[in-house]
Parts: sequence; structure tokens; C-alpha cells
Amino acid sequence: MRIGVYVCECGINISATVDVEKVANSAKSLPNVVISRYYKYMCSDPGQELIKKDIKELKLDRVVVASCSPRMHEPTFRVVLEEENLNPYCLEMVNIREQVSWVHKDKEKGTAKAISLVKGSVLRASLMRPLEKKKVSVTPNALVIGGGIAGIQAALDIGNMGYKTYLVEKTPSIGGRMAQLDKTFPTLDCSACILTPKMVDVAKHPNIELITYAEVTNVKGYVGNFKVEINKKAKSIDESLCTGCGDCWENCPTQYRAYLEPLEFKAELKNGEQVILDEIINKYKDERGAIMPILEDINDEFKYLPEESLKYVAAQIDYPLSTVYRIATFYNVFSLEPRGEHLINVCIGTTCHVRGAPKIIEAIKSELKIDVGETTEDMKFTLEPVRCLGCCSLAPVITIDGEAFGNLRPDKIAKVISKYD
Amino acid sequence: MTEVIRFQILEDIQSKGQEILYPDKPRIAISMATCGLAAGAGKIYEVIKKEVKDQNLDWIITETGCIGFCQIEPLLYFHFPGKPKLFYGNLTEKKARELIKALAAGDIKQDWILWKIEDEESIINEEKYHLGKNENLKDVPLYKDYPFFAKQLKIALRNCGFIDPNSIDEYVARGGYSSFYKVINNLKSHEVIEEVKKSGLRGRGGAGFPTGLKWEMCSKEDSPIKYIICNADEGDPGAYMDRSILEGDPHSILEGMLIGAYAIGSNEGIIYVRAEYPIAIEKLRNAIKQAEGFGLLGKNILDTGFNFNIKIVKGAGAFVCGEETALIASLEGRPVDPRMRPPFPSHSGLWGKPTNINNVETWANIPPIIARGSDWYSSLGTEKSKGTKVFSLVGKIQNTGLVEVPMGISLREIIYDIGGGILEEKKFKAIQTGGPSGGCLPEDSINLPVDYDSLSEAGSIMGSGGMIVLDEDTCIVDLAKFFLGFTREESCGTCNSCREGLDASYDILNRITEGKAEISDLDLLEELSHVIIDFSLCGLGKTAPNPVLTTLRYFKDEYIAHIEEKKCPAKVCRALIHYTIIPDKCTGCGICFKLCPEEAITGKTKEPHFINSEKCIKCGICLDSCRFDAISISSGDL
Repeated sequence: MRIGVYVCECGINISATVDVEKVANSAKSLPNVVISRYYKYMCSDPGQELIKKDIKELKLDRVVVASCSPRMHEPTFRVVLEEENLNPYCLEMVNIREQVSWVHKDKEKGTAKAISLVKGSVLRASLMRPLEKKKVSVTPNALVIGGGIAGIQAALDIGNMGYKTYLVEKTPSIGGRMAQLDKTFPTLDCSACILTPKMVDVAKHPNIELITYAEVTNVKGYVGNFKVEINKKAKSIDESLCTGCGDCWENCPTQYRAYLEPLEFKAELKNGEQVILDEIINKYKDERGAIMPILEDINDEFKYLPEESLKYVAAQIDYPLSTVYRIATFYNVFSLEPRGEHLINVCIGTTCHVRGAPKIIEAIKSELKIDVGETTEDMKFTLEPVRCLGCCSLAPVITIDGEAFGNLRPDKIAKVISKYD
Repeated sequence: MTEVIRFQILEDIQSKGQEILYPDKPRIAISMATCGLAAGAGKIYEVIKKEVKDQNLDWIITETGCIGFCQIEPLLYFHFPGKPKLFYGNLTEKKARELIKALAAGDIKQDWILWKIEDEESIINEEKYHLGKNENLKDVPLYKDYPFFAKQLKIALRNCGFIDPNSIDEYVARGGYSSFYKVINNLKSHEVIEEVKKSGLRGRGGAGFPTGLKWEMCSKEDSPIKYIICNADEGDPGAYMDRSILEGDPHSILEGMLIGAYAIGSNEGIIYVRAEYPIAIEKLRNAIKQAEGFGLLGKNILDTGFNFNIKIVKGAGAFVCGEETALIASLEGRPVDPRMRPPFPSHSGLWGKPTNINNVETWANIPPIIARGSDWYSSLGTEKSKGTKVFSLVGKIQNTGLVEVPMGISLREIIYDIGGGILEEKKFKAIQTGGPSGGCLPEDSINLPVDYDSLSEAGSIMGSGGMIVLDEDTCIVDLAKFFLGFTREESCGTCNSCREGLDASYDILNRITEGKAEISDLDLLEELSHVIIDFSLCGLGKTAPNPVLTTLRYFKDEYIAHIEEKKCPAKVCRALIHYTIIPDKCTGCGICFKLCPEEAITGKTKEPHFINSEKCIKCGICLDSCRFDAISISSGDL
């Protein structure tokens, strides 16, 4: 086995972040490597000539090119091998551009990664066998797994191209996460208005076959010739006759669920958290719509709203998680980020604003090296604004853990904060 | 129980309350509302307690609410039986200790007395309680002659600073719950509503809808369940009268709600109060418990078969929750999206039931109206705005505090007669009324009478009563940006016009304050403002552009200075100002050098220092710390 390694600089595209000389040198000591070189543009004519010359003179039988993506130049180099009567599939390409130089800043780390990628490819190259081309027939059908918005759109796109498409969905209905959302980021468009027309399109599309309440259990075969096993769960209905009137759901003696059943999620609570949460939830179990008091109590207990606790609450009081999130993120008192030991509230009411609150905020920011809404690294202080404490006569005012400090000046901040340090 | 006996009970409590309120022992009451506590009243209370104990004095030490003159907090009054009530302010721990020692020795520290009360009046029963006279105190002004109080008429704030908010007896002593007795014994529900309608009382929360009419609409609904809500989600930055009433006189709210519930036919009341007001919540809880103990809340109240319960729900800091339909959504545990009206809450409100929502100050006005009659109330104020209104007079003003004045009083009287003029004798520039939904009125509107209609004609609103006085050091553009920054964050996002429009307006204002705007931006800003007003559903969006529109109307030259001259006349907008050190004044003391967070100041000790303008972040710490006035700010000159 005789392997040649060729590292490309790609102008400065690669060489700026990868020490190509080092990479080329590192490959020299690898088993079976006969020659290892680097060059400005491997894909250029002189670059190709370089490889051709080596194949001829050094009798190489495997070639490793460390350059760009195979999508870009694999065909180029395969031709090079073919022209020197080498099997074109004895070429191995290492992508040190898209996967290394373009995505890293640190030259040292980039070089190390490139060296390790090249090493892997050299070892792989020694396992390669010459391949032959052959033609196989292709089944022009597609299968999309998962009926969320992405799966729905994919099925529609393929179906519209004229190919038969199967859409497999685990739950009784397609729609997925998006069906749980009220609005979408960042335009706050109505989620259902985007989703539901597509759901209808999928159901009615002549090229799409919808297989809901089913799971893919096995995929065999290869591109164009896959064999997929799908396990359909018992629905006990004749789909060709069902109109989807929903009467059976209403009258089912064993289980009644809304048709758009939310995806199941499980809250991962820390030790002891569940007891506290249960206690809070139980306190309000007889009150209608008591989500606010529950969240307030959790906020008092933990100083913030741990995300997992929101999931737990949603499941326990049978609220859509999206609604719980909307409420939790809307009110100023709630925070989803852990707060520090001491909470500094700067009043940003109008009086405080005109009497210098912005300067006070600057002073606290530079004293603690955090921005508004952030917590110091040692989890000591959290800085949050508050909409008017109603102590306008003392403006500008801040409170630390509820204790008020009035008539502040920026140069007094350090002293006030040091009391809590 | 017959009616006679029931009334007898009230009189019993009343006389018992008067014994507590005016005991035969010396009594000290310390203002311990949030504003007092922030000024240090908590420590003063401890000091006084200890001092009184150490000296073995048989004195009564209690707390009281905020009398409104927040500027001079911490404040207390001392009342020796048979003598006038004396008020002492600006206390420190040392001063408090000294005062007690002096008082114990019979020295009333005449120089420290701010004002005195010889005859205490109750607005409810018109009774004067003669406290006493002291001929030696001729030079000390009476409370009613003291400049800050002389032009005030306290109806909603009638008990704040006079009674212990933890004591139902003291509330009753000053005529409390007598209005409810009158209502439940002598009046039919439609008579109560008629009385409120005739009084001309309009909602004090902002919009000014006639209260009687609101009650009538709700009372006519045929439903076994109706809700009464007190909106205590006081969200306007710079307005805190609701907090003061809740903290200083919680029973007045309960009584107002009881009367409303009787008139409308409701059995369930809810007080929706900001979580940021922990003391108010505590006082309310206590008051509800006491009222239940007296049989004033609960089942079969005073044996009349009337049931009414009140519960407290905490809000969590969302401005939009002050809007009726958003508040209801929040109570129902839904995301707070205001909805289209009709149906009005009086027809379909909380849980789809008829619901009547009034603001704290509105509820507090009800008992006096019932006690003194609608004729008395409607004789106060102007033709279309009756009664009094509480304003929080804050900002760059000498006397900061809560003032309750008859409607129609001029801005000049409020600012100069009550407020004592501008801080540090600077020039008055504008007054901002109505919070983020209001507007800025310039100097030439200073003779404007303060009532609902005059203010809206001038482009502002009454709102919840915030009155922020601005001097020459306030940048109008920065202020408009501040309000828009507030409303854009508090917008719930339902209406595109409000959500995106406020963002876009804020961006323009931001560009102006950074000196990056063009003159055509002003037209765009104005157009945008009108679009936001026209296309938003609720009050937040419909009023949010007001600060921009009024400032554009009255202070356009200041906008133009920012845009064309790149100059901030008030020297506030950071991108347009420069800090420099005046070499002749700088002594080289090095304080600014030490405090500068960016190490932008250089210089040798005892030699003039310099500011490196590239490093300077314009935080202003040097300006505030310099003892020699050696730091100057300039704008537009460089």
C-alpha cells in the first residue's frame, strides 16, 4: 500500500487558520504514507499535475486530499486518478475548509483538528478497495418520518414534485410542536394559521399517504431501494369509511383525549423539588385559574422560575405548557434565570429617571460588571429594573433585598453595595 | 338584631376608637408607609420604642400612614392629652432620640415643630375633635394654614397619616363604616347608585368614566353571581396615591367596596394589587381579617342577609393589567391580552359574569359621598369634573408628595403654592401629567385648570394623577424616549400597530438622541403615532404615543436642535454631550481619577486633570463627585 497525502492552502481560506505545513509533515510519519505535500491550490492545473506526477513516479495506489468539501472537488480529483489509471474510488477527501478553517478562529486548535482529521482519513484510505460502477433501478417514492411542521412541509414539497410520499407520524394527529404553540417567533404570527392549512393539504394531497399513529421500526436497504417496516398501532377502524366525525372519541368508554393531543413531556425535577411544588399546587387546587398565585409562590420559593417546574406545573394543573410559558415570561416579577443571593432593584420610574436613575444603573453596571437583568458570576448579585417603587420623594431609589436606599448618587453606589458583599 | 342595636354597636366602637385615637396618655405615631420606611422610619420606630422603654414612659407608640408630604419623611406626630398635635419631620435616629428625651423632660422642641393641629376634623361626620391649645405656640402654623396643606382638601386621603392603618377602631372613630351602616339600613340599592351618579364622581384610574353609570349598568344585569373588583395594580411610574391609601387607610377601600357590592348586588369582591406593594398587601390582609371579625364581611352581614367576601390577588408587574379586560384575563389565569369591548365587563367580565371594576381612589371616595351626600360632593370641583383628585407631585420640585386638591385648581397653584416651586431655583420647563399615557405641558399652560377636559384639550390626560415637574435639566426628547421605552416593553403584543409601531417610534427617538436622525423623521414619527392610536385595541396603545405627540406639539424646537445642530439643550443625551475639566477650577484632588470606571481621567496630583473623550462613557460620576464644580458638560459646541 502506497499512500500520497496532499494538503491544500486554498489561498488563505485554509492557511489562515490551519498551519498546512505542519499538517503535511504530521502525515509523513503515518503508516503506508509515501509522500505528503502542501500546495497553494490543489485543484488548480499545477496542483493536479503534482498529484499525477507523484502517482506515476512514486507508484501511489491511494490518494488523500485535505482541502474543501467533497461536493466541491471530489469529481475533480477522481478524474486525476482515472487519468493515471488508478481506480477513482481510491480517493479520500478530508474537508479541512468548511469543517475546520471556516469555523475556527484559533490557528493552533484548527491545526490540531486538521491533523487529526487527516490521520483518520489516511487510516481509512488503507482500508479502501477499488470499486466498480454499476446501475440499479430506483423506486421513486419518498418516506417522511415525523409529521411536525418540517415533516409536513417536506412531504408537501416532494408530493408537489410528483412523487408518491408516505408521511409517518407517531401520534394520532400530525401537527407536532407547532400545534402546541400560540404564536411563532419572531413575527408573532398566529401559529395555527400557518399550520392548519398545511395539515389539510397533506390530508387531501393525491401523492401523499398519511400513516398516523404508527412508528417506523426498521429501515433496510440503500439509496433508492429502502425497505422500511412500519408498525401501525391499533385503530380498529376502517379508514376508508371514517369521516372523522369524532363520535367514537366522545363515547369511548376507556379513554377520552382531545384530538390534538399534546406531545408528552416529562419534567426533570431535582431532589425535593417535587414536594415543594406539590405543596404549592395543592394550596390552590380549589381555585379556578390559579396559575398566577402558583407561579408567584414558586418564584418566592426559588427566587426564580426553574424551567422544569413550569413543565411540572403545566402537567399537574392541566394547562398547555405554551400558556404557562407565556405567563411566566410576560410579568416583570418572574425570571426564568436563576437570581443571585441579593436582588438589586433599580427604580426606573419617571421621577427616578429625570433625577438620575440612568447614571445609577451605569454605576452599578460598572461596579458589578454585569448588565441589567444579569447576575454576577459568583451568584451574589442580580440587577433588575423595577417600574416605580412609589418612593418618588427619595428619587433616585434602589432596593437591595427589599431595603430601600434613596437620594442616591453614582459615587455612593460602591459603598451601598459593599454592605452586602 | 334590630336596627337600633346595630347602630348602637357602631357608636360603641366609635367611642372606643376615639379613646384609642385620642388616649389619656401621650401618643406618638410614626409615618411608616413605604415612603417613610425608605427614608428610615423603621429604625426611628425602634429607636423611639427603646428610648421610651428605657425612660419608663407610659406612652403609646403606633404607626400611621403617609400624610402626603413625603419630602420631610421620616415624620411623626406627638400628642399630649389636652394639647395640640405636633408634627416633627426630617428625623434621624439621633434627632429622634434627642426629641424623646426632650419631650420626656417637658420640652417640646418648638423650633423643630413643622405644624400643629388644634382641632381635628373628620370629613365624614363633620365633627371637630378639639385636641387642645397651647398659647406658647403662636408662631407654629396650623396644619390647615401650612403652605403644603392649605389648598388641599383631603377626601380620598382623609385618614392617611391620621390613624393607625392596623386599627379598625381608629378608622371607625373618624366616621368609618358609618356610610355602610347608612346604606344597608336606610337605602335601597338604586338609591345608592342614584347618589353616586348625582355626585358626578368619575373613575380615578385614568379614563374618567362616570362611576355611577358603571354601577348602574352592572346592577341591571340579571345574574346570581356578580363580581366587584378593586384595581390596585397601580402601574404608572411616578404615581403612588393608590399605594398610599392601601397602606394608610385600607378600611376605606373595604367600605367603598361593601357599598358598591350592596348597590350592584354582588357577593364576591377581589382586590388585584401589585406584588411590588408588600406593605399594602399586608395592611389589606389585616383589614379584611378585622372586618370579618366585626361581621362586616362574610355571610349574613349585620343580620341583613347580605353576603360579601373579599379576596386579594397579587399582580406580578405588568402595566397592561391595569386595563380592565387584561386584568380579568390575568385573574382567570390566561395570558394577558386585552380584548375587544363590547361586551363590557359590566355585562360579561370575570368568568363571563357581570363585573364592576373601579380604581382604589374611586372606592375611597365612595364613603364620604354617601356620608355627606351627592350635593356636597358635586359642589366641589368644576362643572364636568366633580370632587377632588389626588396627584403625586414629584420630579424637580421642592415639596414632593401626594396632594389632594379640588378639581379646577390651576397648575400654578399646585406647583408654586403647594409644591413650593422648582428645585434649586432652576427654570420650570414642563409638567408631565398622566404617566406614560399622558403628555408634557409647557410653561404657558401653567394657568390651566386641572380637570379631565382641560387636560385632554391641551393634549395630555388626567390619568391616574402622576404630575412630574421638569426643569431645564430635563431633555424632552429623552423623556419621550423614556416613556416609549416603557410602553413598548409593556405592550402585550396583540396589536401589530402597538407592538411594531412603538418599536419603530422608539428607534426614531433613539436616532434623534444619538444625533443620527433627519428632519423628515419628525413627520414620520407623527404619522406613526397616529397610526398606533387609530389601530390599537386597548388604552395602552391608544395613548402610548401621547408623550411623543405633546412634546412634538410644544417642544418641536428641542427635537430640531437634536437633529440639525446635533445638540441636546438640556445636556442629557449621551451621544451629544462632552465632559471636560475646567483647568482653572480643578485642584487635582484626584477623586474623579479614582472613581472613573473607564480610567478615562488622567493627571498628576495637585495639577489639573484631563478627560480622554475617547474613553469617556459619559456616566457622570466625575460630575457628581467633584467638589469644586470643575467638571462641565457641553453639547453641540465641539
